[in-house]
Amino acid sequence: MEVSRENIEELIHSYECSQRHALAIMQDMQRRYQYIPREGLNALAKYLGCPVSSLYAMATFYKALSLVPKGEHIIKCCDGTACHIRGASTLIDGVERELGISPGETTSDGLFSFETVNCLGSCAMAPVLVVDDVYYGRVTPEKLKGIIQTVREGGAK
Amino acid sequence: MTEFQPDNQIQIEINGRACTCTKGEFLLEAARRNGFYIPTLCHHPGIAEQGCCRVCLAEVVENERSKIVVSCVYPVEKPCKVYTDSERVKEDRKVVLMLLALRAPESTEIQALCRQYGVMDGSRFKPIEGEKCIMCGLCARACASLGTGAISTVLRGTSKKISTPYDEPSDVCVGCLSCTRVCPVDAIPYTEDETKRSIWGREFPLVHCQECGAVIGTREEIALAAGKSGEEVQDLCPECRKKKMSDVMAHTYGTE
Amino acid sequence: MKKQILICCGTGCRANGSMKVAEALNQAVKSHNGNAKVIADIKTTGCHGFCENGPIVKILPDNLVYYKVKPEDSDEIVEKSVLGEEEIGRLMYKDDSGRPVRSQEENPFYAHQYKMVLRDVGEIDPENIGDYLERGGYEALRKAVSMSQDEIIDEVEKSGIRGRGGAGFPAGRKWRTAKRYDNFPKYVACNGDEGDPGAFMDCSILEGNPHSVIEGLAIAAIAVGAKEGFFYIRDEYDLAVKRIKKAIQDAEERGIIGASVMGSEYSLKLSVVRGGGAFVCGESTALMASIEGRVGEPRAKYIRSVQRGLWNQPTVLNNVETLANIPKIILEGGEKFAMTGTKGSTGTKVFSLVGKVKRTGLVEVPMGTTLRHLIYDIGGGIIGNRPFKAVQTGGPSGGCIPESMLDLEVDFDSLASYGAMMGSGGMIVMDDRSCMVEVARYYTNFLCEESCGKCTPCREGLRRMLEILTDICEGRGREGDIELLERLGHTMQEASLCSLGKTAANPVLTTIQYFWEEYEAHIREKRCPAGVCKNLTCFEIEAEKCTGCGMCARGCPVDAISGGKKEVHIIDASKCIACGSCRETCKFDAVRTGARQNVIEGRQAV
Repeated sequence: MEVSRENIEELIHSYECSQRHALAIMQDMQRRYQYIPREGLNALAKYLGCPVSSLYAMATFYKALSLVPKGEHIIKCCDGTACHIRGASTLIDGVERELGISPGETTSDGLFSFETVNCLGSCAMAPVLVVDDVYYGRVTPEKLKGIIQTVREGGAK
Repeated sequence: MTEFQPDNQIQIEINGRACTCTKGEFLLEAARRNGFYIPTLCHHPGIAEQGCCRVCLAEVVENERSKIVVSCVYPVEKPCKVYTDSERVKEDRKVVLMLLALRAPESTEIQALCRQYGVMDGSRFKPIEGEKCIMCGLCARACASLGTGAISTVLRGTSKKISTPYDEPSDVCVGCLSCTRVCPVDAIPYTEDETKRSIWGREFPLVHCQECGAVIGTREEIALAAGKSGEEVQDLCPECRKKKMSDVMAHTYGTE
Repeated sequence: MKKQILICCGTGCRANGSMKVAEALNQAVKSHNGNAKVIADIKTTGCHGFCENGPIVKILPDNLVYYKVKPEDSDEIVEKSVLGEEEIGRLMYKDDSGRPVRSQEENPFYAHQYKMVLRDVGEIDPENIGDYLERGGYEALRKAVSMSQDEIIDEVEKSGIRGRGGAGFPAGRKWRTAKRYDNFPKYVACNGDEGDPGAFMDCSILEGNPHSVIEGLAIAAIAVGAKEGFFYIRDEYDLAVKRIKKAIQDAEERGIIGASVMGSEYSLKLSVVRGGGAFVCGESTALMASIEGRVGEPRAKYIRSVQRGLWNQPTVLNNVETLANIPKIILEGGEKFAMTGTKGSTGTKVFSLVGKVKRTGLVEVPMGTTLRHLIYDIGGGIIGNRPFKAVQTGGPSGGCIPESMLDLEVDFDSLASYGAMMGSGGMIVMDDRSCMVEVARYYTNFLCEESCGKCTPCREGLRRMLEILTDICEGRGREGDIELLERLGHTMQEASLCSLGKTAANPVLTTIQYFWEEYEAHIREKRCPAGVCKNLTCFEIEAEKCTGCGMCARGCPVDAISGGKKEVHIIDASKCIACGSCRETCKFDAVRTGARQNVIEGRQAV
């Protein structure tokens, strides 16, 4: 979604003015824009009457929040313990090889962002890969190539 | 004045000597008041609940159970025996000092502590080159309460650092040096000459006293202080201001 | 008689496509009769626990359960098993002897379980408050509002229930202390920030029976005198957040909570706070900082949060599973609850049994069940009947338990005396192909990222532990490293600020304690016995065992394996990235690992 002052203000003002909503407001921004735009951080600081630095501290502390825009498709590779011992690191290497980016990065064409997460609660299907909220269980390096190919060709199924 | 009532007093023993402290008083203060020095880095009397450098460890024995506590945040609630220099304390402190020395190899304060209290051999590890900061975060808290909240802790875990938002020159910093004054290891660099002060990537013009020419502070810092107190922007140093005040008084009441 | 079709729509089954199955079944029922309601009720439920075999479909009253159901199966299911009384063998679970089983009770995965907390999970529609009410929901709350605060707390104390989040603090004592403070307002909060990687017990309770947790929290609020409560739920748990929010709304609309709790003079406002993606926020003081809208850093807990918690007011924080047990305790009495479990740890515990076991999923058993029973009877043993090596319990705060301790009865205290902990219930089973040094490195790396970074021993200690462990795994380990790790770990336990730091060394210390020789093999012989550490491992195909099926070559991500059909395959060591995919795919155990050094020396000899 396009970042504009009006829709940032609208988002912020849907909460009452209290520090306790700071995290929730930033999470809403994250959901709407896939990152926390700078304008958003500044506007929120103004609304709550707190320094930008205190919100910046939160935005960098909480892993759910990102300060840089994400790619069109987000690939999350679960590296929880169950996935780890069932070969998650091989998948992580695989995604790195396929896309040429490391976890936390976005491809230069803006098509993919790659993240590792610490457990999605789907341990029984380890190792798990999530592409744009579609879950793939028991992923092998072989399957992985196919999944990425499908996404390239027109989004996750 | 409730804290001076006798029932708020607790008898404790520090390193074998009987001492008195107030219920709820932090152990570090109780010990120091009674003449036992416990080393610290991140403790600052004006900034509560730090407790992060972990240099001020002490051993407390309560009901025959011994535990290691962090004395700057440990409130003494019941009679106990305290050891500020037991073997257990020394062993742990040596490890903590090794970790700090590897973290901030450039800090002379830490080197001094290591010499005085002993340090574990850290030659197995690669120190963080050029680092001085021990990540206690006092600067950020001082800035939030005395300054403008220009800096904060950023990130978490082993990547944690102190910085301005987006690592850019801060647009709210007033160059008041509150951060540098509380820093226990002199880790925040700044420069100053006759006319300007540079810190956190910005330059601040210095204002001089109209009378004696001494530096009063940065223009931004003086404006902030005036804003907070509701007074006019000062152009005199505290000394000259006092002198001017007494001159006015003398003139008004005619004691000359 | 009208039948009922239950479709599991927990996160696991959804990931396997259960929503599509639900849709297809609805269609199938409609197309057979025109009106779904006439022949069957279709209900989407929470997790049945046996997630790896999802989507799971259960047909009542026949008590017939189908696994791995696909949308294409729905017509057949409706025709044969809903309209008719026929079983579809292909969709039934096969027990260890290969016999298809009809009901959950006959399924070895469920047969040994004892469900208290999970009883209704998987039976009720979590988005339908009526379903919960029909099964006696909120009766405990109704009873609680007619009891005195002390009577409620007495019952909870009598039950002996201890906090299921890991620390095992008696819930009754916590409530009693909080009640004693007359410093208002007070708060109650539910810790749903299930951060241990490899654990999803709380997730499935929140998703599968949200009202039971709400009821537990409401009873806690009444007992201690709080008018406001919070659910702090992990960011990754989208569905749980959605369901709790809906459940709160439904309960408010029915006057169960809100301005008047069940028509009494108590009031209660509940809200949901989404976690920000920080493991440390499972720690009580960090969680509270996060609810207050700050960075989730813990504070020193010499003053407990029950005295000084949210906004410095008395606060009771309980774990999801603890709260879900409360309604039953109030309805049936604490004494009855205490009859299950062991003396020091009453009731049941939900575990997430995952890793290299045949049957993985969520299991609930009485406290005091042995690890062997869990892993072999319920879990069915190790995949491929490989040798068991260790079970990791308690997540990054816990430890790795070796085979010699499999007969240990698991409760809050038994594991602690061995350096591990039961923790919140994650149980990750490892076989001989899991490297214990690498597992220790994995947890240490996890904690380096997840530590809040506030205190020196945790932040810097973890950094240095990771430095050593990475060296060991990559072949740069030195004599003295093990002792150094132990020394660092000891100081981290003594001097760290919060429980994350105090327990952060447990994975390292327990693996050293029980798998010392594996560390030594890495350090002295530069060899990874499990064949996991890439720098130390080479892969070879044993000619005698290889059948030339070509599976390994197809799975190799870098095309390092060659060989014709029915010919012995060969791995090109110069291309191999030592990922181990070939070993995982080979059905004939033909891929063996060796130390890299040997390969190099061997080649030189040739």
